[in-house]
Amino acid sequence: MINTTNGMISTSSSSTANPQSPGLKTYFKTPEGRYKLHYEKTHLSGLLHSAHGKTVTQVTLAHLKDKPAPSTPTAPTSSFSASSGVRSAAARLLGAGNGSRALSFVGGNGGSKSLSGSSRIGSLGASSSSNSITNTNFDGKGTYLIFNAGDAIFISDLNSQDKDPIKSIHFSNSNPICHAFDQDAKDGHDLLIGLISGDVYSVSLRQQLQDVGKKLVGAQHYNKDSSVNSSRCTSIAWVPGGEGAFVVAHADGNLYVYEKNKDGAAESSFPVIKDQTQFSVAHARYSKSNPIARWHICQGSINSIAFSIDGTYLATVGRDGFLRVFDYSKEQLVCGGKSYYGALLCCAWRCSTFFYTVACCLLRLKSILFPQIPSLLFDIEYSKFLLNSIDAKYILTGGEDDLVQVWSMEDRKVVAWGEGHNSWVSGVAFDSYWSSPNSDGTGETVMYRFGSVGQDTQLLLWDLQKDEIVVPLRRCPPGGSPTYSAGSQSSHWDNVSPLGTLQPAPSMRDVPKISPLVAHRVHTEPLSGLIFTEESVLTVCREGHIKIWIRPGVVESQSSNSESMLSTSSKDKPLLSSKVGSSSYKQ
Amino acid sequence: MHQDAHEFLNFLLNELVDILEKEAEAAKADAAETSSPSEKTANGPKNPQANGVLKEPLVTWVHKNFQGILTNETRCLRCETVTARDETFFDLSLDIEQNSSITSCLKNFSSTETLNAEDKFFCDKCCSLQEAQKRMKIKKPPHILVIHLKRFKYIEQLGRYKKLSYRVVFPLELKLSNTMEDADSEYSLFAVVVHVGSGPNHGHYISLVKSHNHWLFFDDENVEMIDESAVQTFFGSAQEYSSNTDHGYILFYESLGASSKS
Repeated sequence: MINTTNGMISTSSSSTANPQSPGLKTYFKTPEGRYKLHYEKTHLSGLLHSAHGKTVTQVTLAHLKDKPAPSTPTAPTSSFSASSGVRSAAARLLGAGNGSRALSFVGGNGGSKSLSGSSRIGSLGASSSSNSITNTNFDGKGTYLIFNAGDAIFISDLNSQDKDPIKSIHFSNSNPICHAFDQDAKDGHDLLIGLISGDVYSVSLRQQLQDVGKKLVGAQHYNKDSSVNSSRCTSIAWVPGGEGAFVVAHADGNLYVYEKNKDGAAESSFPVIKDQTQFSVAHARYSKSNPIARWHICQGSINSIAFSIDGTYLATVGRDGFLRVFDYSKEQLVCGGKSYYGALLCCAWRCSTFFYTVACCLLRLKSILFPQIPSLLFDIEYSKFLLNSIDAKYILTGGEDDLVQVWSMEDRKVVAWGEGHNSWVSGVAFDSYWSSPNSDGTGETVMYRFGSVGQDTQLLLWDLQKDEIVVPLRRCPPGGSPTYSAGSQSSHWDNVSPLGTLQPAPSMRDVPKISPLVAHRVHTEPLSGLIFTEESVLTVCREGHIKIWIRPGVVESQSSNSESMLSTSSKDKPLLSSKVGSSSYKQ
Repeated sequence: MHQDAHEFLNFLLNELVDILEKEAEAAKADAAETSSPSEKTANGPKNPQANGVLKEPLVTWVHKNFQGILTNETRCLRCETVTARDETFFDLSLDIEQNSSITSCLKNFSSTETLNAEDKFFCDKCCSLQEAQKRMKIKKPPHILVIHLKRFKYIEQLGRYKKLSYRVVFPLELKLSNTMEDADSEYSLFAVVVHVGSGPNHGHYISLVKSHNHWLFFDDENVEMIDESAVQTFFGSAQEYSSNTDHGYILFYESLGASSKS
């Protein structure tokens, strides 16, 4: 069975992963097994126009669910932005080995509206009968990669072996540079796009997929003609649970809050920033106009922003080298600190799969079993649970000092530096799907897995043992006494800094160092980002090439899931297994 | 024949030192009774000048700004004796790798290297050639750190020099952590000499200079103000064959003063 599957993998990778670049391997080893290059995605580079300035490709994962009936109220899941894997992660918690089936069962019983498992076969029939994506009946369900390159946004089907995008959207007067997707967006506009010109659009991803043209359709336009801010957009994010609110970071150190249901025509104006060095928040004078608020965060560019999963905190990193963590609703600085040196380029929150999964399951169960209970009541209890349990303790950052920084929200300071990149660190992410091999629930040796990518073209994987980051590094300078007492097991080798202050750059000897578990050269070009999905790790380079590295365990589970499929041709066949089905229904 | 900017920089600094020394000499001869104050500082006999001036070394403004001290530590693997030798420098010449950073090049520069086989070390204690470990440490970081990227490399197979167009990223701020001083010394980038051209024998030089918080772009008689973010267009090419031939060649970092300040 495993052999069969391996056969399938190798065929697909031999057709798509031709070694155009000798010296690059199509797999890398980790203690848990081999990650194999599964698919590659790219764009037609000949069509690229960079007349509006150099861009760096970013990638967003978008999971489109069943086309919702217009009247159906959406389950209150909008607080989650991690899109893929929710279904199967939840199912795994329900105790079934074959996740998707277990969940289909639950969904089927409850007549669920938001579960995708139960109605998949139906939609497969529909999509196999219509070969063209221009069909308006095309419901677009699936997982997509949205990425920018040159003057275009490209959309690829994550689970098809097709290297080329299924859709490209060209922008005539500026280049797209950042994007974000919210799978639980209410009124259809789920995709945000920020441009070099500072302009911002919100659109419906499904609508773009249904359209034949190469232009954005049905877009809402914000900061039109740079009327509010003319500096480039650098990072964009939906506010988790924010009912259509989103934030856009700009290269001039400002961040704007928008609400998509507000009238885009009336543009807000804000007072002149008195002190460029100080954090300040200004609200729009008129409640109907967008943006609704401006946060002046720092001098120089904001390079990346990230919300904690529940939307409580907003982290920003920028040109000045500072990580800043804000309480989003209070609009207050909670903590932050400076890099070792140079700008910070990326940041990411830790989110615990376990609690996330429990939370998702509860939500699902609630909507199935007690659809009559008003959401609000449940939501309060639920949010309490979420706030208590979510492990939003750590933030990763990466930057121009070649270091991956682990920031602790408890200690409000850097607790570890990851040394291993030979150039700037351009992407960081926790692998929330990874579970520690010795996590038997005792909590003694909690381990976190995270990854980073850099301009050195490498993907690094790291294991962070909790012990490792609470024990300070002890240094014995030659001829001197140890700086820290050797017997101290305290998690604070310093005092916790007061709330709302920024830490200066730590000294090299004061921060514990960790080394990567795996370092693998994955592309020929400098990398710009990575995403962990349940089944794979995605790496993307600045020029817009994406590689999908399938996890070691996934191959086996796929094979047990879909023997029938694998024994015959995988093409043009309605697939019964939901997991594989989701991966190739478009063929 | 294309001239090398790094060679010119060395020539210029050494020539300046020569001129300043001659001036100081002349001043001394002219007014023997009133010795020029502060310009002449005894530096101890252990510190001969790199340019071979062995007589009482004069500390000129060139030295004050550009000179740093490297320690070359060699540890004999047989007797474990560590031999340390100090050298002064005006700039650091770094080997470069594709898709790397200055930080990484500096790390390689001071990484431990094993001397063995053909390249053994003569240990004074063992009185014989021995395997040894060698590393370079920065003993005294200079006020102005000049970093020269070895982009022109002799390729033996080709029998000639080749320009390495590698992408080597340099941050606007830098710290040296491999120094022997207690605090990490912090630097800020203020100038870049860029070599334009695909080969070692022809091309053009341009430079970027930060002046009064603005970056200026100098190309012969053309001077333009550029955005700080434009500096990164001179990092180099991530792929070997690229239309981009403008590569950062010499970097000038200025110390941000008080070394203990973070």
